[in-house]
Amino acid sequence: MIEAIGLTKRYGDKTVVNNLSFTVRPGSVTGFLGPNGAGKSTTMRMIVGLDRPTAGGVTVNGARYAQHRAPLGEVGALLDARAVHTGRSARAHLLAQATTHGIGRRRVEEVIAMTGLDSVAGKRAGKFSLGMGQRLGIAAALLGDPQTLILDEPVNGLDPEGVLWVRTLLRGLAAEGRTVFLSSHLMSEMALTADHLIVIGRGRLVADAPMSEILTRAQASTVRVRTPMGAELAAALRGRPGIELTHVDGTAYEVTGSTAEEIAEAAAAARVVVHELTPVQTSLEEAYMRLTADDVEYRTTTPERTSDRTPARTTGAHS
Amino acid sequence: MSIFAPVAPTTGRVTVHPASFRRLVAAEWVKLRSLRSTWWTLAVGMLFLPAFAVSRVASIAQVPEAVGSDTLVGAVYVTSGVALTQLAFCTLGVLVVSGEYGTGQIRSTFLASPGRLSVLAAKLVVTTVTVAVASLVGVVLAWVVAAPFFDQTGMSIDLTRAEDTRILLGVPLYLATATALAFAIGAIVRSSAAGVATVLGVLLVVENGLAAIPWGPVQTLAAHLPASAGSRLLQSDAVGSVITVSSTTTFTPWQGYGIMVAWVVGVLVVAGVLLRRRDA
Repeated sequence: MIEAIGLTKRYGDKTVVNNLSFTVRPGSVTGFLGPNGAGKSTTMRMIVGLDRPTAGGVTVNGARYAQHRAPLGEVGALLDARAVHTGRSARAHLLAQATTHGIGRRRVEEVIAMTGLDSVAGKRAGKFSLGMGQRLGIAAALLGDPQTLILDEPVNGLDPEGVLWVRTLLRGLAAEGRTVFLSSHLMSEMALTADHLIVIGRGRLVADAPMSEILTRAQASTVRVRTPMGAELAAALRGRPGIELTHVDGTAYEVTGSTAEEIAEAAAAARVVVHELTPVQTSLEEAYMRLTADDVEYRTTTPERTSDRTPARTTGAHS
Repeated sequence: MSIFAPVAPTTGRVTVHPASFRRLVAAEWVKLRSLRSTWWTLAVGMLFLPAFAVSRVASIAQVPEAVGSDTLVGAVYVTSGVALTQLAFCTLGVLVVSGEYGTGQIRSTFLASPGRLSVLAAKLVVTTVTVAVASLVGVVLAWVVAAPFFDQTGMSIDLTRAEDTRILLGVPLYLATATALAFAIGAIVRSSAAGVATVLGVLLVVENGLAAIPWGPVQTLAAHLPASAGSRLLQSDAVGSVITVSSTTTFTPWQGYGIMVAWVVGVLVVAGVLLRRRDA
């Protein structure tokens, strides 16, 4: 269980995490989704006490992280991939972490085997690929067999087999009643792994809902309609709640909030000629981008927009 | 072929104990000994002692006129490598902390010990004890290799003489304390390059530079700087310092060493406060 209340982090006048409150419950995988720079990593670092909140607070399993006497037994965390001395072997790194909590060598070998690091455990971590580094981070997180797992972009750099393994592992851990909190900037990955989703953008909460609800909302379909009688179709659909008709160009229109069948019946009843009626599914990524559209930190500028702009003049720049 | 073993997350029960200070010390020892750089810096630092002892004592043996002089204190000549040994050990002291920041390891360290101060203390204990042991071994080696020249030079070391014992055992004390100072500076600057530059700058440039200014107040200040004051522990009352050029000290050996310890405590307190306050 992770409970954040009014969590805020400011660096100078830049607010990275803004009054964030949420609860991550045991027994399910909770996804933490947001564009790059949204404040996901900072939030996770505050949960485990690496960063100090400017305001608000967060508890894990009922206490602040630093108040736990055996934190590795409570929380396993994989933060940004590199949290390992490059000159130390994977095995020595895990042994040092284990020793702090009196965890035996047997468990060290166990997590090495679980994460498939057997053949490279004696190698220095500095020589590891991104994927191997991720596996070492996951091994370290699992050392204390913790009740709560916090993973920042765990599948980053893993091959498809590794991605599948992480997904299965996390689902299994949640099924055992553990709290699993993982971040990603990929909606598609979340859709496959998470039961619940917390979405943030620019440090603020955008959505906090079950995955199924977000999927339904996301996949609210659009129907593409081509008709020479746009005005008449609009009249026929007018008055029905939630339906919206947008003119695209020429004879093409887009209807949201309705099914193709509904539109066909309404058109037939009003004797409107329809040339095309195509349901268009909004992709998850599109829905997610729409959800966080106002909250992306680094937006790519479209060429049209740039050309619209009057070139900036450098008057008085050197005076 | 599967890379990942299809094992359940937990096979059997995992026993987890609180992260006590004793366990943190044990873990820090695992960390220190599992880095190659530890052994390199320890070996280099330790070998400076016998290397300097033998070269200085042997060179005295070539000068028959000097034999019998009061300034030929055996313990001082045997420990003369300290000036270089401290550079190696201080580098280790900085790297022990700054290396963790440079690589990101510090985050794993603080995850296991979120209180931070206890892990800093555990690290300090492991580092200084290791350095003290290496120093002691170095001193014994230095004595062994220099002893064959004692007869020719008229020098001797006698552990029943208080001054000899103080100088020989002062070496591990002084080096451990200097390493602790470097360690604290490393914890403050958190960067290997800046840490090593600061420590070597203080030891080699600042202390000697100030000591070379022949003006009373500056001389007094220079005598109070950590290495100048602390190295009084390694000086014979008959000979000046072999570590710094400071010569105007009026401290007793233990007063001088006490001033050095005060510096270390002060810098460690700053390091501790910053450690608690800063994001990792």
